[in-house]
Amino acid sequence: MRLALTAITLMMTLAVAACGRNDAPQDRLAAIRQAGVLRVATFDSNPPFGSVNPTTRKIEGLDVDYAQALADKLGVKLEITPTNPANRIPLLASGKVDLVLANFTITEERAKQVDFSIPYFASGQQFIAKTGTLTSPDQLNGLRIGVDKGTVNEINLREKYPQAVLVAYDDTPFAFTALRNGNVQAISQDGPKLIGVLANAPDASGYEIPAFSISQDLIGVGIPKGQAALKTFVDTTLVELEASGQAQRIYDRWFGPDTRTPLARSYRIGESAAVAAH
Amino acid sequence: MNPSVITDNLIYFLVGPWPQGPLGGAALTVILTVLSAALSGVLGLVFGVLLSVLRGPWLAVLRLGLGLFRAIPVLMLIFWIYFLAPIAFGLDVPGVGSVVAALSLIGGAYLAHTVHAGIEALPRGQWAAASALGLSRRQTLWLVVAPQVLPRMAPSVVNQWIALTKDTSLAYVIGVAELSFVATQVSNRVMVYPAEIYLFVAVLYFILCAGFELAAGRLARRYRSLPA
Repeated sequence: MRLALTAITLMMTLAVAACGRNDAPQDRLAAIRQAGVLRVATFDSNPPFGSVNPTTRKIEGLDVDYAQALADKLGVKLEITPTNPANRIPLLASGKVDLVLANFTITEERAKQVDFSIPYFASGQQFIAKTGTLTSPDQLNGLRIGVDKGTVNEINLREKYPQAVLVAYDDTPFAFTALRNGNVQAISQDGPKLIGVLANAPDASGYEIPAFSISQDLIGVGIPKGQAALKTFVDTTLVELEASGQAQRIYDRWFGPDTRTPLARSYRIGESAAVAAH
Repeated sequence: MNPSVITDNLIYFLVGPWPQGPLGGAALTVILTVLSAALSGVLGLVFGVLLSVLRGPWLAVLRLGLGLFRAIPVLMLIFWIYFLAPIAFGLDVPGVGSVVAALSLIGGAYLAHTVHAGIEALPRGQWAAASALGLSRRQTLWLVVAPQVLPRMAPSVVNQWIALTKDTSLAYVIGVAELSFVATQVSNRVMVYPAEIYLFVAVLYFILCAGFELAAGRLARRYRSLPA
């Protein structure tokens, strides 16, 4: 009995110790500086935005580089938490991370639950299908389409192509596996992410990304609601990164002509900021 | 079959990003299992004994609480502890802690009924006999009941712990990098070798569970051979 009581006491002590983190100041930016750690959620399975490097066994990618630049500016350590599309808002809302940099499209719906920085990337919603099977958006209403759970792509398709049958997967590689196995006839995601999927697929030759997109999306940094100082810091740092040329260097590292996913840069930080304001 | 996808990523499967990053992979699965097994064992023992000795409204409250944890899917409880505890109670439980807490609470609720059933299986006459010899209820429990009952419950407890080993894979829902999570990361990167990767992962789980069963069986036999 004494042993059992000791164990219960130990558990309660641990639970109380876990509470300790909550004593941090309400201003998250000050809390980050005080802790010396910037906690950022990025994707872990979506090259070139975020994926595990086989040699270093660490998560790397465009979003990780931006997160590192933000941490460097603050002079704090970067701590990466892996996330999937559906976990991004819960991670911010529960205070598990300070920022989300995970190909996070800015939408009015999401802006009710989290704040967004100014955009740092732009992409259009596109598709992957077997070569020659999908040529125009008119065909979409008659297809089974794989999407990622909790993405803007899913909502877009439901609104614009209500007759299409949507199957929601945890992540883009799962959806691509479903396409390969014939469970769906096309999958949909942001163009740059799909280019990353095809670039890493050994059997990419049988598939293509048809040359049309059904939306234009701006990607921003997800910030906890009401953290004005943190948002100002992220916004000004992003503008500085563009001015210093570092934003271009980060882009070139993952989408430049020498990479596996060459893609011309269509968006620069600071352009059409009005879109991001609402 | 392409065995190089396994050998190239073997270290990642076994320990995740460790030592540069946090421990993950099969090693984290073992840690999650051992911690949850130990805690669920303690909780099961305490609540099982309470089920046998409590009477009246306290028993009803305990039964309701255990019933609740037996009814909740593990996945839900992990998700709630990790994401809702900070919002609802201001309690920030880290990922590994959330998984261990969820598995221990649910495993403990299952084991409580195993322990309770074991205690009830002893003839009531033994309690009366112990009482006639002048033993208190607590002494009867630890000196008479427990030595007979605990070894007999071992197979059932080991069953529960093996189920728990496999349930650690549900940690993926909050991004805890245990074995199945890192396997998914690798599978998503190389894309066309899911059969090789998940077969290898199945073998690792088999080794873990079989090793656990052997160890627990050996332990139980040693205690059974002691004079009761």
